[in-house]
Amino acid sequence: MDVEAARLIAAGFCMAIGAIGSGLGEGFIGGKALEAMARNPQMSDKLFTNMIVAIALAESTAIYSLVVSLIILFVI
Amino acid sequence: MASLPDISLPSSPIFEIGALTVTNSMVAAFASMLIIIVFAFWVRRGATLFPTRSQMIAEMLMEFMLEKMQVIFGSEKEARRFFPLIFTIFIFLMFANQFTLIPFVQSVVIEGKPLFRTATSDYSLPIALGLLLVILSHLVALTRSPLRHISNFIKLDVFFKIRSFKDIPQALMDFFLGLLDIIGELAKLVSISTRLFGNMFAGEVVVGIVAGLMFATQFVVPIPFIALSILSGFVQAFVFALLGTIYIASAVQGVESSPKT
Repeated sequence: MDVEAARLIAAGFCMAIGAIGSGLGEGFIGGKALEAMARNPQMSDKLFTNMIVAIALAESTAIYSLVVSLIILFVI
Repeated sequence: MASLPDISLPSSPIFEIGALTVTNSMVAAFASMLIIIVFAFWVRRGATLFPTRSQMIAEMLMEFMLEKMQVIFGSEKEARRFFPLIFTIFIFLMFANQFTLIPFVQSVVIEGKPLFRTATSDYSLPIALGLLLVILSHLVALTRSPLRHISNFIKLDVFFKIRSFKDIPQALMDFFLGLLDIIGELAKLVSISTRLFGNMFAGEVVVGIVAGLMFATQFVVPIPFIALSILSGFVQAFVFALLGTIYIASAVQGVESSPKT
């Protein structure tokens, strides 16, 4: 296989597989937070900011794979 | 025929002052700083007991952030001590992330290169801010109680607790877990800075690619993606400031509440 083609495939796979976990995690966090807000609407302000922080934390693995695929594409 | 924009990871240099190369993201960072300074003076000059509209916005932001910091630090005094730094980082990132939204800013071109580029989409700014926050958290903990902070990582005290042969594996385990925490500190730095950089850079790339796909997609189609990147810009500024607070607070609390040996 051509090196160029291998690089492109690697970058695509890196991002695709890396996004699975963080997508699942973010969906779970959002769903659970909405459930909690529906049960106790007075807490929703507090829950919302905590949810945002948790989502940003769960997102970091996808960001790592994005950075790795960017390195594959542009640096190597 | 529209063409895909050329995506470059490092920002392109504009001009040089002595040995210092000024890149376009630096220009944007300084421009957003200027906007913040002007805004701050404007709000301060017009500040009255009955708040004006701009004063309302500034006070709302400050109260919002201070409230969050009080929850994390657990005391108002500590929160107020670190408030200026954290809030400065927060508003600076908020302005810097949204800077290219100002109309016609991205069409200013010098020698084929755009003069402004979102400051946080170059890796140097996030890693500088991340280094500042992580090193500051350690410095604060070291000045409070140097020995205790070091013993949070190099746990020699577990060896003095050994009473019988059964305790030895547990003590070794604790010691190596403490060493692992040193790597955890480095991971903090990488994660806080790449999170900001990755989000902002990805937002720019997505908007650029969607706008450059076809002639028809240049006008209305990028709007949802731009909206998404505006949202992620605000959220990432907030998360960056909040994570910095959490790092400092956890370092301080680790020193103050660690069990005496």
